[in-house]
Amino acid sequence: MKRRSVLITGATGAVGSELLRRLAPGPETTVSALVRRGGERHGEIASILSDIRPAAGVSVVAGDICAGPTLGLSPEAVAALTRHTTHIVHCGGSTSFTLPLSEARRLNVDGTRNILEFARCCPSLESAAFFSTVYVSGRRSGTFAESDHGDAGFGFVNTYEQSKAEMEALVRAAMDELPILLLRLSTVVGDSRTGAVRGFNAIHHAIRLLYNGLAPMIPGDPGERVDIVSSDFVADVALHLIDNQPAGGAFHLAGGAEASTLDDLIGSTVDSLLRFRPAWRKRAIERPLLVDLDTYELFVRSVEETGNEVLRSATRSIQSFACQLAHPKLFDTGKTSEALSGSGIAPRSSLDFYPRVVRYCLESNWGLQQC
Amino acid sequence: MSKRQPLTESPLQPARTRSYHAGIEAIAEYLPPRMATLRELDTAGLLAGSAETLASFGFRTVHLAGEESNLDMAVAAVEKLFAENDIDRGEIGLVLYATALSSSSTMWNAEPTRRAKRDQQPNDSNHPAREPVLELDEVADLFRYPASQLQSELDLPNASVIGINQLGCASIFAALRIARAMILAEEDLKSVLCVSADKFPPSRQRDLIYNVVSDGACAALVQRGAERNRIVECTHVTKGALWDAGSLENEILAAYFPTARTLIERTLEKAGLTIDDIALVIPHNVSLRSWEILGRLIGCPPERIYTENISRVGHTVASDTLLNLRRAEESGLIARGDFLLLFTFGYGLNWACMVVEH
Repeated sequence: MKRRSVLITGATGAVGSELLRRLAPGPETTVSALVRRGGERHGEIASILSDIRPAAGVSVVAGDICAGPTLGLSPEAVAALTRHTTHIVHCGGSTSFTLPLSEARRLNVDGTRNILEFARCCPSLESAAFFSTVYVSGRRSGTFAESDHGDAGFGFVNTYEQSKAEMEALVRAAMDELPILLLRLSTVVGDSRTGAVRGFNAIHHAIRLLYNGLAPMIPGDPGERVDIVSSDFVADVALHLIDNQPAGGAFHLAGGAEASTLDDLIGSTVDSLLRFRPAWRKRAIERPLLVDLDTYELFVRSVEETGNEVLRSATRSIQSFACQLAHPKLFDTGKTSEALSGSGIAPRSSLDFYPRVVRYCLESNWGLQQC
Repeated sequence: MSKRQPLTESPLQPARTRSYHAGIEAIAEYLPPRMATLRELDTAGLLAGSAETLASFGFRTVHLAGEESNLDMAVAAVEKLFAENDIDRGEIGLVLYATALSSSSTMWNAEPTRRAKRDQQPNDSNHPAREPVLELDEVADLFRYPASQLQSELDLPNASVIGINQLGCASIFAALRIARAMILAEEDLKSVLCVSADKFPPSRQRDLIYNVVSDGACAALVQRGAERNRIVECTHVTKGALWDAGSLENEILAAYFPTARTLIERTLEKAGLTIDDIALVIPHNVSLRSWEILGRLIGCPPERIYTENISRVGHTVASDTLLNLRRAEESGLIARGDFLLLFTFGYGLNWACMVVEH
């Protein structure tokens, strides 16, 4: 097998960690995990790899994707990395929905610009995978094809979406000169086999609010689809695409037609809470109401006016993503399905694995306790 | 007033197929003449929250009891009911005295004790007459009941009494529900007097979960074969897990809308009606904004929700809905045969809903 040398960013995140665990034991593979300088990332990388034996060395490189094309590395380190790197997997950046736009741009747009510059300096580069989100579609509704891009003028729900759409524009512009894969992720909720969550996000926070009886209403239509995927599915698809490098463009790593409805997902949440925490029934918490956006915004405005900090925080955290539910869409996965043909990799119904994620949330107390 | 009618069918027969029914024949209220604006309450230190926010939620003025005790207000409401209607006091077979505040149903707490009266100087401003004194002289004081005192003061010789006092603002709905059920179940019971009265502790802040509390009382005569306000359906849900009003305010606020919509939809379904069949929703006088939201949730436009009294009366705890039913009728907003949906919510935690045919 041909040797490959992988530079991965965001290796401690939900998707990056899954990719790292699959890349590390690969024969003839060297992995350089670029981590933010000054954090506890070395330990995190060790933890991610604790139960596997890397076939080749995994080196942890302290740098900063926002520190220009050198990525905050020494000239010697840059020279060595660019000389050897055959694959770049860029999962780094921020997935926060609530950052100011300038900060989201710094992390997601400027960081990507620097990775692209770095890629241009890699003479042996065979693949550069950039992770984006299907929610670059913003507030548009209907089917969002892999060939579509941006919000089509409908605007964005949060700064994460906007910064990722701007990041995609940079990546698309470089497609003619670099072997780029643009991988748009759906919402990653956890491992389909164990339910384990690495990186709790808005969905998990919404589960907690429901559990605590602090989610009275959510904007959306009961029949609309909510696209969620497991981290192992995403990693399987990404590695298959990286290995096979199909013709460029964007690929949707999403449930697509397998996505469950909002009503079913809420029902599954409630059923799982009752099943895995039977005492929760005593709290007699109602299912959140599914309401139109105007009603939801009236409710949010009222909560804001009351000054009630707990409810204000709860509604704000839901609002940062829930308004997306008021713009239902189907993420077409035709091109990805074609690329996966014969691989045996296919999305599963989210209702098959989602209950395990809810159980993990409960048992880990949303990451506060060791499972 | 219609006279006693003989039972022609078994009370065990399903209610909807019976030729007899129970309804709210007459309503009267007592609201203390003294009023205060939000600004005045704020100046007096009687608001915990912002007067501006409460104003934006639809509140403007409230009624404040002065010398009147709870019982005084209850008696005044019932005497007005008797004065306005030709009611034979001897025909009242049951009094259901519904109060929301704990202090309204514990006389040893609501009335000066004998020792306090004995020790009280005529001009003792610390213990003005009828102000609560948190002192228990004798164990027997624990058995002094305002429902019985009400029956006595009203001179209702044939009425037994039941006190209802653990459902917060939903207590009057429980009274109406029990009245209807007992009228349908007991052959010799024709007229039930349902009374609610609550006086807020005078020195306490009057805004509760973004609503402003008013003092007041209401009385309703529920009768077999009533000519108006036939009670078609009543439903009531209790979520005891949220009993602790003090520490669970956020959970209570979050539970309000989902449970309210579920209950209203269930009530309409039981009545064989839809919200489009409802001529007017008769609410409790909580925040106007909350009714804007609930109206949207149940598909009822604002013009079919009677919210006039929220600003000028405020939230009279348990008396709102009956008071509003009377005012809506006086305003000519409802006609004979209209279906009305009555709704309230009370600590405990209780939601109650009723459909009546006017």
